[in-house]
Amino acid sequence: MPEKDKPMPATAAYSQATKSDIRMMVTLGSRSAPDSKSPPAACVCPVIRSNGFSLYYGTKAGVRDITMDIHPCTVTSIIGPSGCGKSTFLRSINRMNDLIPHVRTEGLLEVDGQNVYDKRTNLVNLRQQVGMVFQKPNPFPKSIFDNIAYGPRLQGIRRKEELHHIVEQSLKAAAIWDEVKDDLRKSALALSGGQQQRLCIARALATRPRVLLMDEPCSALDPIATGRIEDLIGQLQSTYTIVIVTHNMQQAARVSERAAFFCLGELIEYDRTEKIFSNPAKKQTEDYVTGRFG
Amino acid sequence: MLGPSADRRRPLALTPGEDLVGFIASYLGRAVLFLITATSVLAVLLILLFVILRSTPFLREFGVREFLTSRVWRPTADEPVFGALTLIVGSLYVSIAALLFAVPVGILAAVFLSDIVSWKIRNVAKPVVEILAAIPSVAYGFFAVLVLAPWMQRRFGFSTGTNALNASMILAVMALPTIISVAEDAISALGRELREASYSLGATRLETMVKVVIPAAHSGIIAAVVLGMMRAIGETMVVWMASGNATQIPHPWWDLSQSIRTMTATIAGEMGEAPEGMAHRSALFAVGVVLLLMTFVLNIVSEYFLSRAKKATGKS
Amino acid sequence: MNLGIRRTLDRVFTGLTGASIVLLMLVLVAVLGPMIYRGSGAVLFGGTIEFRKMQRDLFNRADRAALEAEIAEADRARQVVYDMIDRFKKGIDIATMSSEAREINREYGRELRYRDVASEEYTEAREVARIIRDKLEEAFSSQDIALIRANVAEVLAQKDEARFKGTVAERFFSLATDFLDAAEHIDLSHYHDYLVALDEVEVILFGSIEHPGLLGPRPNQSARPLAMTSYGATRWDRAQALLDRLLWAEKWVEKEPGQPLVKARSPRAALFHDTALEPLFAYVPEHLNEMLRPRFTVYWQFFIDDNFDSHYFGGVGPEIIGTLLITVVGMLFVVPLGVISAAYLVECASEGPIMRILRMSINTLAGVPSIVFGLFGLAFFVLFLFPKLGFEPKACILAASLTLAVLTLPVMIRASEEAIRTVPRSYKEGSLALGASRFRTFVTVTFPAALPGILTGVILSLSRIAGETAPILFTGAVAMGPVPKSIFDPTRTLSYGSYDMAVGDRLAMMVPHNQYGMVLTLIVLILVLNAVAIVLRSRVFKKLKGH
Ligand SMILES: Nc1ncnc2c1ncn2[C@@H]1O[C@H](COP(=O)(O)OP(=O)(O)OP(=O)(O)O)[C@@H](O)[C@H]1O
Ligand SMILES: [Mg+2]
Repeated sequence: MPEKDKPMPATAAYSQATKSDIRMMVTLGSRSAPDSKSPPAACVCPVIRSNGFSLYYGTKAGVRDITMDIHPCTVTSIIGPSGCGKSTFLRSINRMNDLIPHVRTEGLLEVDGQNVYDKRTNLVNLRQQVGMVFQKPNPFPKSIFDNIAYGPRLQGIRRKEELHHIVEQSLKAAAIWDEVKDDLRKSALALSGGQQQRLCIARALATRPRVLLMDEPCSALDPIATGRIEDLIGQLQSTYTIVIVTHNMQQAARVSERAAFFCLGELIEYDRTEKIFSNPAKKQTEDYVTGRFG
Repeated sequence: MLGPSADRRRPLALTPGEDLVGFIASYLGRAVLFLITATSVLAVLLILLFVILRSTPFLREFGVREFLTSRVWRPTADEPVFGALTLIVGSLYVSIAALLFAVPVGILAAVFLSDIVSWKIRNVAKPVVEILAAIPSVAYGFFAVLVLAPWMQRRFGFSTGTNALNASMILAVMALPTIISVAEDAISALGRELREASYSLGATRLETMVKVVIPAAHSGIIAAVVLGMMRAIGETMVVWMASGNATQIPHPWWDLSQSIRTMTATIAGEMGEAPEGMAHRSALFAVGVVLLLMTFVLNIVSEYFLSRAKKATGKS
Repeated sequence: MNLGIRRTLDRVFTGLTGASIVLLMLVLVAVLGPMIYRGSGAVLFGGTIEFRKMQRDLFNRADRAALEAEIAEADRARQVVYDMIDRFKKGIDIATMSSEAREINREYGRELRYRDVASEEYTEAREVARIIRDKLEEAFSSQDIALIRANVAEVLAQKDEARFKGTVAERFFSLATDFLDAAEHIDLSHYHDYLVALDEVEVILFGSIEHPGLLGPRPNQSARPLAMTSYGATRWDRAQALLDRLLWAEKWVEKEPGQPLVKARSPRAALFHDTALEPLFAYVPEHLNEMLRPRFTVYWQFFIDDNFDSHYFGGVGPEIIGTLLITVVGMLFVVPLGVISAAYLVECASEGPIMRILRMSINTLAGVPSIVFGLFGLAFFVLFLFPKLGFEPKACILAASLTLAVLTLPVMIRASEEAIRTVPRSYKEGSLALGASRFRTFVTVTFPAALPGILTGVILSLSRIAGETAPILFTGAVAMGPVPKSIFDPTRTLSYGSYDMAVGDRLAMMVPHNQYGMVLTLIVLILVLNAVAIVLRSRVFKKLKGH
């Protein structure tokens, strides 16, 4: 999807259509996504749009003036030095920052055309559609099964077989099924760090979101587990919109189609991944990706 | 392969009209939670209201002046006199005497726990303080009457073992856990840098403590003392059992071996004999109002110093 | 300042801080020591046969057959004491002897009437009997041994008369012999002193209407109204004390004029020197074991038994029940209130004036003196709310529980708040990110994780409620009364009971083990609760850290 084609029609459509139209359009688009192998035409409409978005912790800015569109059924990676606001931006998308006192936002951040920071946004629905995997694995102190079934149960799924089916599917999708299938009643806290992280991915998948936010999902994992998760991301790409924060350049290059480079709370450059890594437009980006950042 | 659940999709934005149940539930839920939490506020207001309300018949009949200035408390005489001065002085007297015992020991113990001992000894010493705090006041009163009083009478030849000294010693023990824990928090919240700065200049521990740490933690320590004072003034069972309950101001004023009577003990001791509807009962509620006001004032003072202490450590 | 002085001062300071902690420990030992030492005596002690009798009669709790056998054994040993006293009494108890003589005379007359004798023989026999009676009475009231001897000899001269053979009148002669026997051994001029001294001995041994004795009432004595005086010493330590009183007479004497009186002890046996009673003072200490048959007793029923005669016998069962009732009912109010308030403060409330008011109220509530809560409970719950709700406006368990619930609310809120705050934020985020609502997140994730901490708070509030006395003085506690039937009855509690027994009458002072037993029960209850809370808290702390 060439970049220059995108903004005009989509923005036009957005500005003219009513909210419900957009909703319908997006819904249609994503429903058709699993059926067709190639990216469908409806994907021209970005799932996540950020327009001049800033977030402040008290008076200090976490991210400032971010403008970027994230497209459906792609993997977008966010890279940048530590403390540059990658997590902050990611967490803004499903409003996880609400838990932190004195947080203030400015600008526009939309998911499916709905302003996330609008008063009427239903957080439950938002978060069910925008799943998240955290940097540090955070399984609940419950059994493995209950961890995975947590999301489906929230959605009102009570039937045993259906839950079992979802749990199995999710664990298989997260490539951890073979390790835990014998003892789903075991406490999730008894798993290793890598297993816990895959469990958290499985847990996020079990909710069947459309967007998956991953905040350095592999930072606690060994290379083999990392490889598995990268494969997993590759598989999920056809059906999910994935945003991944990573410190690992190779990983970003391997898994993502598009990459965004953040620095000091600002978006420096956002483009196709090959372009960012081979021919970045900004000097800062080049310095960072070639390791000259200092 | 598990795909996004298109069929279960729910709209991101919901107007109150669209999501009436959720909207009502969330607002109603919050309101209910708030109301339940407001029970505390309600309780404080009701306490104030009812204690004051019950005392007004007395105050209207006898006036505040006599109540606060007369030294005569003769509630059951034919011509009853309700002068609470002796009781107020009594309460302050034993509390201040208790603090004289408790504050030095409390600060030393706080320094000991925060600066001198290793974690291991601390883990032994801390439960001692916690047990002292946990023992119910009636047990302390029991000890005062049956163990301490006879002992004092034998040892010092006092005419009575239940006297101001007895009561204030026990009150000191009861105020100590509060003083120690608040003071220790204040002292240990100061951080290592301050101490290290002083030690690096060649000061001994005593000098570091007295010249640097304790002055820096003074807000917290004052708060500790005020909280200890609150504990002592509000204590009932111990003073009722151990103070002798003689309506008098000690003369000479420093003679702790005389019996004394406090506001709390008066309420506890006389409420049973004060019939409903009589000035006596109403007067006891008036004593309760004085008590309540005193603790309010002390509470505000302690909170002021606590917040100052918090600010001071927050900056450093 | 010179370095040496500075060093010394520093050491002194360090020593002082250490001394302050040592002082605290000493205080703890001084407070708990006597209570544990004397209070444990309520449950562990040497129980005598009298204790077992009392348990059988009052609590219907005994191995009856074995006890009967034991009692028979003990009575055999006691019989010696009874005999000694009776023999001694013969010599000095004029009133009893005189009435006995008169009684014999009267009965003899009655017997004669039924025996169908000739009328002049009847008159004569009556006359002789009357003379014998008078002679004896004269002898009894005399202090002159010569006259006594003469009179007794005169009486005994009639012994072989046929008309007295096989009749009641024979008892005249045994009475006369016994009396002479006793009279020969005592200084008759002091017989009044003997009477007083004997009375004292009898009270010590057998008790009186007011005082429990060493052996309890004699088998043929009439029943006493109070349980406490119907039994001998039930405990070996009490028996020892009474034995000491039996063996040593105490007197307040003035050593020097003007000086305060001092206690002087002298052996009581000396009072009965050379009399029939003297051997008693050797016999009782030697055979006390057989008479009382002490045995090490674990009286665990102390914790379930009701008491008799203001805690003279029995235990603290109703007090424990009352304390638990008040505590449980109070917790029913304070736990939900406290947890919900804490949840609101942590999860919902944002900083602002409302939050400040809430916090200030909680702090204020924590500072209100406990007796003012008592006033409030009386004025609001008992006198205002109850009539409004149609209940009787009287002090009862419900009022006490409500009052204590308000009192502990701040404790509960603070503990729960801390517990909820220490739940790692990642748990909450995990749940929220899966699309759970805040309510759902709290119920399914935060609350379970905070539960151990909340439990700690619950236990601490429990121990606070159980120990408070002042707030329930006018709202629901009584010193005596039946076991409550509903929460609308007042109740006895351990805390109020401890107060009552500490300042109680002489009676409570006679049973220090029950006094201390009551307060020890309270302390143990509370310290155990606190210990559980401390352990729970440290375990939670470790778990959260290890995670
Ligand atoms: N809860 C918070 N309160 C205040 N400031 C915060 C908070 N969280 C993050 N910040 C600040 O916001 C800035 C961005 O933080 P963020 O966590 O987004 O960085 P990051 O890019 O994810 O770093 P890393 O690669 O180390 O995870 C940092 O300077 C940080 O200090
Ligand atoms: Mg981060």
